[in-house]
Amino acid sequence: MTSSGQMNSPLDIEELRQAIRDEYMAVACNPEQGFHFHTGRPLARLLGYDDEWLDGIPEGTLASFAGTGNPFRLGAFLPGERVVDVGCGAGLDSLIAARMVGAGGYVIGVDMTPAMLAKARASASEAGCANVAFREGYAETLPVPDGWADVVISNGALNLVPDKAAALKEMARVLKLGGRLQIGDILVQRPVPQSAKRKIDLWTG
Amino acid sequence: MAAGFNGFEITWRADVFSGAPQESSAASFGTLGINFRARKPHDEQEWRDAVSGAQSCVVADRNY
Repeated sequence: MTSSGQMNSPLDIEELRQAIRDEYMAVACNPEQGFHFHTGRPLARLLGYDDEWLDGIPEGTLASFAGTGNPFRLGAFLPGERVVDVGCGAGLDSLIAARMVGAGGYVIGVDMTPAMLAKARASASEAGCANVAFREGYAETLPVPDGWADVVISNGALNLVPDKAAALKEMARVLKLGGRLQIGDILVQRPVPQSAKRKIDLWTG
Repeated sequence: MAAGFNGFEITWRADVFSGAPQESSAASFGTLGINFRARKPHDEQEWRDAVSGAQSCVVADRNY
């Protein structure tokens, strides 16, 4: 933010998305570099992930985990259920969910960062996980049919979505009637001024 | 909620940013990690009514 003109200019959505994509490409490709948030197995333990959930998850996916909560503490996942993981990143939650719902169930992970999707797909292959697919897309326009899912999960992604209302409407659209939303995300305890909401570096850091 | 969900509930919150390798803006806004859940109504009409009628909501903030 270098000029008063920029203070009042609206947030450029594509510029924001690219900045977020760049940040999370780094998380995918260089997870050990250190970020303004915790990552990896230490973060999973901080968020209450059981060690048994992490067993057998390829280290590449585990290292690039960058969630902020734990969707699995919000309700059980039943065999045969269908799950959509919005902002799936490198696929940790998708792979855990795929194991929980078993061969009769299915998981679709959606993310906008190609490097994260590549890592998720590689890990699914390495783990021999056949009941999961990863699709590129935005939370505001999910590449999932109406009423497909029993559960929608997301972890640390909704706060990065420019149009959160649209994303929540999409989550509702893809859920079956009676379907469940189980989300890890963030909240702020102090008001965020409108001027700050236009600062892309505050979205990513 | 405006997307038609009901039963919104925050079940957990915690500081998940302190001690991260790089300094974060999170602390300046008191940012916490949370878990929340909600449910899409079981009835189609109830869902559509909730979407069209939901312009505000009161969130029950439970102590835990």
